[in-house]
Amino acid sequence: MAQVLQALATGLLTGTVYALLGAGFSLIWGVAHVINIVHPALAVGAAYAVYLLAAHGVDPLASLAVVVPLFFLVGVGFHEGVIRPAVRRGGDLVLVSMVLTFGLAAALENVLAAVWGPGPRVVNVAYTGRAVQLRGLVLPITHLAGAGLAAVTIAALYLFLHKTFPGKAVRAVWQNPEGAALCAINLRQVTSLTYGLAIASAGVAGVALALIYSFSPASHLMWLVFVFLVVIVGGVGSLLGAVVAGMLVGALTNLSTLVIPFAWAPFLLFASLGVLLLWRPTGLFRR
Amino acid sequence: MSRAVAAGLVVVLLLLPWVGTGEYPLALLYSTFMYAALAVAWNVIGGFAGYLSFGHATFFGLGGYTTGLFLVRTGLSPFLTAPLGAAVAAGFAALAGYPCLRLRGPYFAVVTMILGLAVRAVILNLPWTGAAEGLWMTLPPWEPLVARRAFYYAMLAVALVTALAGRAVRLGKMGVGLEAIREDEEAAQSIGVPVVRLKMSALILSAGLTGLVGGIYAYDRSYIHPDFMFDLHLSVLAVLMALLGGRQSWAGPILGAVVVRLVDELLTVRVGTEAARIIFGLGLALVIVLLPDGLLPHLERLRRRAPRPPAAVPAAEARL
Repeated sequence: MAQVLQALATGLLTGTVYALLGAGFSLIWGVAHVINIVHPALAVGAAYAVYLLAAHGVDPLASLAVVVPLFFLVGVGFHEGVIRPAVRRGGDLVLVSMVLTFGLAAALENVLAAVWGPGPRVVNVAYTGRAVQLRGLVLPITHLAGAGLAAVTIAALYLFLHKTFPGKAVRAVWQNPEGAALCAINLRQVTSLTYGLAIASAGVAGVALALIYSFSPASHLMWLVFVFLVVIVGGVGSLLGAVVAGMLVGALTNLSTLVIPFAWAPFLLFASLGVLLLWRPTGLFRR
Repeated sequence: MSRAVAAGLVVVLLLLPWVGTGEYPLALLYSTFMYAALAVAWNVIGGFAGYLSFGHATFFGLGGYTTGLFLVRTGLSPFLTAPLGAAVAAGFAALAGYPCLRLRGPYFAVVTMILGLAVRAVILNLPWTGAAEGLWMTLPPWEPLVARRAFYYAMLAVALVTALAGRAVRLGKMGVGLEAIREDEEAAQSIGVPVVRLKMSALILSAGLTGLVGGIYAYDRSYIHPDFMFDLHLSVLAVLMALLGGRQSWAGPILGAVVVRLVDELLTVRVGTEAARIIFGLGLALVIVLLPDGLLPHLERLRRRAPRPPAAVPAAEARL
């Protein structure tokens, strides 16, 4: 029983980080109808930025001061410089966006590999390896910090989207672009804002993941799988759906390792996704 | 391309190994045939029907593992069992295709991608497939040049079969039906197009041809591992080549495959693998931004010397 609770607790903590990574991906998919394959690769980029700064004695949490604004600008630039020109040319948006962003992800992966090598890296901070004991549960501080960071960011995103005027504009464009444009909402600005927010959140997720896991340039493919799972289970464009789905995926992955050999865990995840797709193709929480 | 030019090209390719061609050009052409076959096969479901699969490596890997296991267990040559590899890939497509094809657009793309990763995870954990250690095959005791010729002809045959199949689908009744599905599936269904049957046949055919390619490739490589037999890069590469050449015609993907293969080879030889992948990734992004319709429509326009605005290509012109 203690084992089950322990697996559940760690699963929920890592699940929160998956939720954040999925939320930004989901936002871009929902608002701009772009499947942004480079999203988790950018998170890996953020993890390397943390690694670089940590080597100079900067705490991962402090590195957010650099990562968040930088990634916001990257997101805006990515929309204005890459996605918008591609969309204006026409063609199948899904196809164009997936191939385009896969190309960028492959390029980024190899840039990281060229600089740091293909091997895995770990960020070591003062509290690495320390844990909080809570009624027999062992909660590593890095996990708590990562999950806390993700939770705060998700809450901030939620408040922004629901309580502020620009955030409401983002949701309006997601629900009905023509209607939003008729209400004098500037589609271009709002879409750029969405990209900025989503990529900044990917940066935060990268920082959180760097705290919890080791990472390598190729890690983004595995993270991409989790992102897909979160978005499909949670429903595209739904922030709360992403939160529930992230926790579900995290908990399920961890719990399944108790019952079946570790290596089979991904398979169970994929199989449950297959069943879900047959039963509710647009996710559990799609409105 | 007119018939005479195509026939001439095939004759030249058939005779090529006997005019003193070395191992390197034969190997390069072999991989070009392979890419061409993969792109044309992908295009049957991805281009004609508009169902964008990002998991064709699944079928490639299944074909490769089928011939590999047959060779290891029974000693049967993959040249004979390649059709069995195709059958396994097609059978898997028939099983997985029904639920997947209920999904549209981005969902289909994402699910096929996940499917490939799932099958890879399974193979990695099945001891009788060699699992994470991979599977070793022994090649017949041939001279290197003889082996290259054999694989050259095998892959040329596969590419020709694939191209003819793609052409037959595009120009036949099935192509019209698939086009109708791509443009508007509900409308197609309402006028009596057997939507489900056509989509399923297209996916099964596409998967079978991809499995055939994988079966031959595995033997040539003589060592297979899930990491590169079910590689996501391969799935995306098939999409890219079809996209670059032009998805509306059956011959477009061949053009795309030739361009991609040659550029890739040049880059790898000149600047090394890592830098090649960076340039390749960025070049890929650039091509998509600049040429969303692919190369072929532009070439066609040049040939007819009738410049038009680079807007969408009308359906009538799309037929080659």
